[in-house]
Amino acid sequence: MVDEKTEIAQGLRRRDPDLLDRLIEQYQHRLLRYLLSLTRNRATAEDLFQETWIRVLERGHQYDGKHEFSTWLFSVSRHLVIDFFRRKQPASLDALLDDEDQPMAPPASGEPSAFDRVAHRELSERIAVGLDHVAYEYREALVLRFQEGLSLDEIAVVTGAPLGTVKSRVYRGLSALEPWMKGIQA
Amino acid sequence: MTDHKDHERARQMLALGDAGQLPALDHAWLDRHLEACATCRAFAQDAADVVRALRSIPVAADRTLVAATQMRVRQRARELRQREERMWLVAISCVAVTLTAVVTNLACWRGFNWLVERTHVSDIAWPIAFVAFFIVPVLAASVLLLAKGTHLADHNR
Repeated sequence: MVDEKTEIAQGLRRRDPDLLDRLIEQYQHRLLRYLLSLTRNRATAEDLFQETWIRVLERGHQYDGKHEFSTWLFSVSRHLVIDFFRRKQPASLDALLDDEDQPMAPPASGEPSAFDRVAHRELSERIAVGLDHVAYEYREALVLRFQEGLSLDEIAVVTGAPLGTVKSRVYRGLSALEPWMKGIQA
Repeated sequence: MTDHKDHERARQMLALGDAGQLPALDHAWLDRHLEACATCRAFAQDAADVVRALRSIPVAADRTLVAATQMRVRQRARELRQREERMWLVAISCVAVTLTAVVTNLACWRGFNWLVERTHVSDIAWPIAFVAFFIVPVLAASVLLLAKGTHLADHNR
C-alpha cells in the first residue's frame, strides 16, 4: 500500500495533470491564505498562487515524499514571494527577515488590508487587522502555526530558520498581537 | 513568589504549548505558575482567543482562480511533454548518426584496403588518401562558405 506522500511524489515526477488538478483543489485556500499573509495584496497573491503551481509542476521531481506535501508547497511559494519582493524592492526580503529586532508598527485603524475584505466576523477582523501590523516574520510564523496547522519543525523547514528562531517568532508574534487581544476583551 | 523571568518563561510556554513541545515537567511548572499568577492567566486566555480568531479568518480562493490555474498548469505540462519528446528525437538522431558514421567509416576503410591490394599503392599513400576522402569535401565547403561570407561582408560595406 503506497502512502499519500509517496503517491504525490510519484505523480509529480510523472507530471500527472490529474494529480495536480486534485492538489490545486485541495490546497487552494491554504496556499492563498499563506500568500495573502505574506504579500498583503490579493492580486499579487493570486499571481503568485498560479506561479507556485507552475513551479510545482516544473520542479515536482524535487519533492522527496518524506515531508508533508504542504510543507514543501509552502516552501516553494515562499521562495517565489522572496523573488517577487527582490524584483520589486531594492532591499531584499532576506534583509527584512534578518532583522529580528525591528520595531513593531503601532496599532492603527482604518488602513485597508487584504484581510479586511475577507474577514466577516468582528473578532477575526480585529486579529486580521492586527496581523497586518505585525512584523513580516512573526506574521508568517503565526499564519503557518495557527492557520495552517504546521508543527514548529515544519515551519523551520518552510522558512529555513532554526527551531529556536521559529519558537521565538511564534511567541513574539502572539505578544505583538496583544494590543488587539485587549481590543477583543474590551 | 514570581519574578519577571518566570512571567516571560510562562508566556513562551503558553505560546508554544499548543505545538505539543512542552515536556511534562514544564507543564507541571506552568500549571503551578498559572495558579499563582493572574497576569499570565489573562495572557493565556488572550492567546487562546487570538489562536481561535486566527483559525476563523476566512480566506477563500475563488473558482475562477482555481480553474485558470488548472488550465495554465495543464498547458505548461503539455509544453514540457512536447519538449521532452523533441529531446528524445534529438537524442535518438545523435545515436543514429554516430552508429552510421562508425559503420560508414568501417566500410570505407575496408573498401580502400581492397583497392590498395588491387592497385598496389604504397602503404603510406593510401591512409593519406583515406583521410583526404573525408577531409577534402569539408575543406572545400569551408573555403566556399568563407569566400561567400567575405564576399557578402564586402558587398554590405
